[in-house]
Amino acid sequence: MNLREWKNRFFRWLDGDYDVMANIMEGSLEPDESHEKVKNDRKAAHKELTSSGFSQAVIDAERKGFYRIYIGVAIVSCIVLIGVLLYTVSLLPKYGQENPRAVEVSDRYIERGLEETGAVNVVAGMILDYRAFDTLGESHVLFAALLCVMILLKKDKKNMDSRFDDYYQIERDAYFDVSKDSVMRKVGMLIVPCILVFGIYILLNGQNGPGGGFSGGAVMGAGLIIFESAFGFELVDSFFTAKVSMLISFISLTFYCFAKGYVFFMGANHLHNHIPKGIPGAILSGGLILPLNIAVGLVVACTMFGFYSLFKRGSIGGV
Amino acid sequence: MIFEWIRFALCAVCLITAMICFTAAVLGANRFGFIMNRVHAGGVGDTLGLFLVALSIILGDGFHMGELKLCFIIIFMWFTSPVSSHVLIQVEYFTNPHLYEHVRREDREALTEEDQ
Repeated sequence: MNLREWKNRFFRWLDGDYDVMANIMEGSLEPDESHEKVKNDRKAAHKELTSSGFSQAVIDAERKGFYRIYIGVAIVSCIVLIGVLLYTVSLLPKYGQENPRAVEVSDRYIERGLEETGAVNVVAGMILDYRAFDTLGESHVLFAALLCVMILLKKDKKNMDSRFDDYYQIERDAYFDVSKDSVMRKVGMLIVPCILVFGIYILLNGQNGPGGGFSGGAVMGAGLIIFESAFGFELVDSFFTAKVSMLISFISLTFYCFAKGYVFFMGANHLHNHIPKGIPGAILSGGLILPLNIAVGLVVACTMFGFYSLFKRGSIGGV
Repeated sequence: MIFEWIRFALCAVCLITAMICFTAAVLGANRFGFIMNRVHAGGVGDTLGLFLVALSIILGDGFHMGELKLCFIIIFMWFTSPVSSHVLIQVEYFTNPHLYEHVRREDREALTEEDQ
C-alpha cells in the first residue's frame, strides 16, 4: 500500500466515508446512506449563497478585513502567552529544590487550620475557608457549563431540524425506554433512597471527614440519575424542573458569594465576624464550611442531573 | 496455631479464586466478540470476584467495623451489577436486528418463525 492510498483513506476517514474499525469491531455501524445527500445539500446551499454578487462581495470584504486582523491577533496573543508562561517557568524553583514560601503556607494550614477554621478535615478548611474564592469560581464554572450545554442541546421548535422528526417518533414510542422494566424499578426503589441519604451524609460530614460538597453532590446527582432511569422522566418532572434547578443553583451561588464576601471583608479589616465556629467534630461546626458545602453540593447535583437530562432528551423538566 | 494456618489457607484460596474470576472477567470483556458474552464475563468479576475478595479479607482480618462496611459494598454491588447487565442486554436485545445470527444453529432451527 503506497502513500497516496493511505492519504486517500485518511481523508475519506476524515469525511466519515470510511470506517477504520469496520472489519475489526463487531456490530459497527453501517456507513450512513444519507451522508452523501447531506453533503450535496450543503454544497447546494453554499452555491446559492455565493451565487449572488452582493453576498459574494460581503464575504470577500469580510475575509479581507476580518481574517487579517483575526490571524494577526491570534499570532500576537499566542506569542505573548508563550512568553509569559516561559517567564513564569523560569521563576519556579528547580526540581527537588525546597520552596520556602510553599512550605510556609502548608505548615500554616496544617498547624493552625483546626484553630482558625474549626474544621477537623484540613482539606475542607483549605478549600472552603482559606481559599473559598477558588471554590466559588469552580462552582460558577459548573453552572456556566450547564448553561453552555443548555444553549447547545436544548431542544425546542426553533432549533429542531426536519431530520430529527424520527427522534420525536422514537421518544413518543419510548423506544429506548427501560423505565417500565420491573427489575430496574424494584432495585431503584431499594437503592435510590440509600444513595440519596449517603450523598447527604457525605455533604453534611465534609468538615469532619473525607467528603464535602463536590463528592456529596456527585453522589446525589447520581442518585437522581438512577431514579430517572428507573422511573422515567415523568416522576422527576414533578419536582425537578428547569426553573427549580436554576433557582437552587442561583440561591446557592448567591448565598456563597454574600456569606464569603462578608467573612473576607470583615477579616481584611481586622473585624470580628459573628459566625460561631462550634466544637470541632460536631456536625454543626466549622463556621461557614457546612452551609458552603451544602451550597456547592446542590449546585453539583443540579449540574450533573442537568447534563444527563439535556443529553438524554434535550431539556430539563419538560419542554 | 493450626487454626491460624487453616484460616490463612482459606483466605489464600478465596483470594486466588477471586484472582481467577477477575482474570476471566478482564480477558472476557476484552477478547470476546459479542456484547452479551462480554457483559456476562464482566458480571462474573463484579459479583463473584468481589465477593471472594471481601470474604478473604474478612477471613484474614476478622469481623470489625471496616468489614461491615465491606459487606454493605457487597450488598450494593450485588444489587446494582446484575441490574446494569440486565439493562445493557435489554438494550442490545431491542436494538440489534442481527441478534439471531449469534444463536447456535441447532437452537436457531428450534425457534419458530414468529420468534425470529
